[in-house]
Amino acid sequence: MMRTFLAAVPLVAVMVQPVSAAPVQDPAEVLQALIESTDSLYLTQSEQNLMMMPDNPALWSMEEGEKLFRTPRGPNNVSLEACDLGKGPGVLEGAYVELPRYFADTRKVMDLETRLVHCMKTLQGFPDNDPAVKNRHGSDSDQMRLQNYIAAQSNGMPWNTPMDHPLEKAMRDAGEAVFNRRSGPFDFNCASCHGEEGKRIRASVLPYAANPKEWTKAISWPAFRVGQEHLRSSQHRLSECFWQMRYPAIVGGSDLSIALLSFWTDKARGEPAIVPDLKR
Amino acid sequence: MSKKTIPVTAAFATLMLASGFIAADVDYTKLSPAELAEYLIFDAGGFNLDEKMQEGGTAKQRLVQDELQKVCSATRNQPSPEQAAKIMADAKASIQYPEGDIKLGDWKKGRELAWSGFGYRLSPKYDDHSKDQVGGNCYNCHQIATDRQGGTIGPSLTGYGKTRGTGQEALRLTYGIIYNAHSMFPCTRMPRQGAKGLLTQDEILDVMAYLFDPESPVNQ
Repeated sequence: MMRTFLAAVPLVAVMVQPVSAAPVQDPAEVLQALIESTDSLYLTQSEQNLMMMPDNPALWSMEEGEKLFRTPRGPNNVSLEACDLGKGPGVLEGAYVELPRYFADTRKVMDLETRLVHCMKTLQGFPDNDPAVKNRHGSDSDQMRLQNYIAAQSNGMPWNTPMDHPLEKAMRDAGEAVFNRRSGPFDFNCASCHGEEGKRIRASVLPYAANPKEWTKAISWPAFRVGQEHLRSSQHRLSECFWQMRYPAIVGGSDLSIALLSFWTDKARGEPAIVPDLKR
Repeated sequence: MSKKTIPVTAAFATLMLASGFIAADVDYTKLSPAELAEYLIFDAGGFNLDEKMQEGGTAKQRLVQDELQKVCSATRNQPSPEQAAKIMADAKASIQYPEGDIKLGDWKKGRELAWSGFGYRLSPKYDDHSKDQVGGNCYNCHQIATDRQGGTIGPSLTGYGKTRGTGQEALRLTYGIIYNAHSMFPCTRMPRQGAKGLLTQDEILDVMAYLFDPESPVNQ
């Protein structure tokens, strides 16, 4: 099915932009190589998911994401091609596996979502309440289409977030503290579910944060959630975990969310990103 | 809020914006990881702290750690022998046993309690206790009877009563573990079902019937 998808690309390309919308490598192949390199109950738990990966609906929205990125939009009528995601204006290849990172212009550590929103506000002039920056969840949102396209330009590349700036380290270390911080009516922390290898919640095998080969699959977002029939982001995954933990809703794009993403990305260092992924 | 965060928040100015509290002039690199974690949770708009909780009050209270949570977090669930002894003693003291002998409840109710567990979730899908019981969440972590698949974070409880009998000693021990498991296993991941008011005394006795009753599928 991946072949069918690729074959369909040139047809569309005639009408729109130069083609670079397909992931640099097939995400299913990245996952398969990972599975073969280790012995993990988590990675191999769903044969069905593996079989469905070539038909991942996230692959189909790639072109829409590219179009949103390259088309002049917003009150300022400019494209996002001047957006610096960390590797220079418009450089998308390998940008995602180096996020979150420190940005000198905002003096903040930012993840893909917060940086993208920043670009859309400052370059394109979208106001806070515009659906383009406000709606961050669901396959139909501009955010998810853009994030999916941008992230896919790092497919198969090893996670490699920079730790050169003191703020990058501070955020990662605070994220680790939050990950291990027990509270709430059930005394849960993130490690309650992700602190031991090969454990299950009912039928689901949980990914272990200290095993980077499992953890890279766990943090590979955007992914199409089969059960929800939507493309989902890292930020969305965070909110789901906290809901399960009986915590209040985490605020999307907050420094707390960035700290957690800094820590969790660091734990997958060196292993390849699988984007877009398909998850249950 | 922990004692540690008070000087931190007092030392730096915070600026209130329409979207919540946004830190201004706070040098994150000057804080320890634990201090920064507290700051991000309580003072930098990390969570919707104002949400109303089922048990009353706001969600902010839910995130404030008690002594047990602090010690278990700081030691990564590996308390020192002294810390462990204190945790176990405090947990034992928290247990409220039924008057007189422990009498098992209804194993059929216990079976449903062991399976269910939606209670106390907040937004976006808020549990107002109206649709479902709070539930015990037992199957999330334990294999219990073999007709339903349980998790593996906790030990298997299959055949629990068959191997232990239904003497008062075994019943009191198990009641104590469900009520506050830290009385036996300091810094366990198991929720404090009784001590935190998640299950009522009657519900605990129903769950115990599921575990102990010779008629229960757990012991078949």
